[in-house]
Amino acid sequence: MRLTALLLVLLAACATPKPSGESLAKSRLGEAEVRAAALARSGDYAGAARHYGEALRLATALDNADAIAANAINLSVVQQWLGRDAEARAALGAVLDDPRTPFSERRKLQAELRRAILDLSAGNVGAAAVWAGQADRRCAGACEYAATIVNVRAQVALESGKPAEAAQLAQSALERSRGPAGRTEAANALRTLGRARLAQGNPSSALEALKQALELDRELGDPRKILADLNDLSRAAEAAGDARAATDYKERGLAVSRAMNDGKSGPEMEALLRR
Amino acid sequence: MKAALPPGRFSRLVLKVNVFLLVALALAGAFMGLVAYKQGWFIKQSPIYFVTPNALGLNKGMPVKLHGFTVGSVSDMRLAGGGVEVKLSIVSEHLPRLPLGSYARHAREAGVIGASVIDIIPGKGTVPLAEGAEIHFEPARGIAEIIDDLRRQAIPALQEVKQAMGQVGRTGEDITQILAGLRQEVDQLPATHRAVRQLVEEATYATSELSIQAGATLQSVERVAENMDRTVPVLSGKLAASIDSINAAAAQMRATGEEAQATLKSARPLLDRGETAAREASDVLGAAKRIWPLADSFKDTTDGMLPIDSFEAEGKGRSR
Repeated sequence: MRLTALLLVLLAACATPKPSGESLAKSRLGEAEVRAAALARSGDYAGAARHYGEALRLATALDNADAIAANAINLSVVQQWLGRDAEARAALGAVLDDPRTPFSERRKLQAELRRAILDLSAGNVGAAAVWAGQADRRCAGACEYAATIVNVRAQVALESGKPAEAAQLAQSALERSRGPAGRTEAANALRTLGRARLAQGNPSSALEALKQALELDRELGDPRKILADLNDLSRAAEAAGDARAATDYKERGLAVSRAMNDGKSGPEMEALLRR
Repeated sequence: MKAALPPGRFSRLVLKVNVFLLVALALAGAFMGLVAYKQGWFIKQSPIYFVTPNALGLNKGMPVKLHGFTVGSVSDMRLAGGGVEVKLSIVSEHLPRLPLGSYARHAREAGVIGASVIDIIPGKGTVPLAEGAEIHFEPARGIAEIIDDLRRQAIPALQEVKQAMGQVGRTGEDITQILAGLRQEVDQLPATHRAVRQLVEEATYATSELSIQAGATLQSVERVAENMDRTVPVLSGKLAASIDSINAAAAQMRATGEEAQATLKSARPLLDRGETAAREASDVLGAAKRIWPLADSFKDTTDGMLPIDSFEAEGKGRSR
């Protein structure tokens, strides 16, 4: 029976794509999108941004609403990874500032959610709340981004000095992000929940949520999140009066930070350790 | 003292000198004419031009080629607004072969090395270029640009290969073992093919036999019914024979049922094997989708969107 399976694979490998007959501009759009995605995966964000920009230009020339929105949103993501927040916001303008092009509800929601994330990242808590609320209304609690939206709202509440509301929202996000696909947002929800509980003066409960977040993030393998979890765990352990555990988390965070070669975070952590 | 000269030696001297000079002049003129002819001075040329921001590598007299055939040369170069204006002199009889939309590019006759030429790429229009028309020029890419482009294109592919090799490594199996296993499977192809054919033939035979026996049973039942019809009015000593016939029909029906059951039993492994094959095919396809050379054959269901992660809202989206 392995042979049957092997034959199926060989057939799939030998199959050539049928002639699509699409125009030169369309094929160039597809090539730019594929190349941008490959560069983003390989870590060349500047290259990815260049190709997403080209794809956005081609999609605009072809008046392809879905491709315009998809490439604008992807461009905003890589621009933010490059630390170019203004360019990231400008990219989303292709969707959010264009009332004439008939974008789908899903694309509008994605763009609004990205804008909320960008605003919150830049410290514009009020604007982030507005965009997250707009995305939440469009989602109506039943879309694929429900957990992400609630997580952003939880962070907005936390930044606004409302830890109780933040904890409630983070708990809600955690419940919505069950399943293998939602593990990223589940970890984010647990991290926000831990911070909210710490802000409420409940460090032992915060430690529990943050440890779960760290476990998930280690499985997902994102060093930035592991570092964030270790920093929060250090604060929570310190608040709980466990100085040894706090130092241990700080040391681990410092090791992660050094390994990431993050020039900013390393000195910050070293300064914390010297206290 | 004046020497005596033989009479007649310098007679008609002026004429002779003039004839000599005329012959020399004619030869020089013929030589110049030959050179001019070779240089194409007698061939009508039509100028076209392009403007390039950088004329590095372009020279006056450089040949202009169409499909590798020389159709003209670079006749003039001068600084102009936006760069350098390069004038090409095209042999007029070849100008109709250059339709609107044609453009020039800087190329070398043998790829990277070889003499540099201006290569004309004909456009797709039908109307030929007019004399003095401006065409687009595509400058040659430097080695550094070519290498940079190659590097940009190669890095994602190499990353995919590295990832695929990593996946193979993580499975804990040696690649040589995998290849040996594949080879073994391929070697067994003819035997498996024969076994499948035999299985199909047996299944066909069993199905046809079942059909024939069912038909025979039906006919037997009909015969029994007819017998009963005939025997009931007389209710004679033929009753025993009729009972025997019914018994025989019942026995035949039982045998048919048993055979049908046996056929179903033999079909069961086939179904099981089919299910196993489907599961294995799914596993192998799943693995194949992750391997670089096949990955592009399978479309991703995430419609090419990068992840929208609420973690980016923490201001740590940068420096990934």
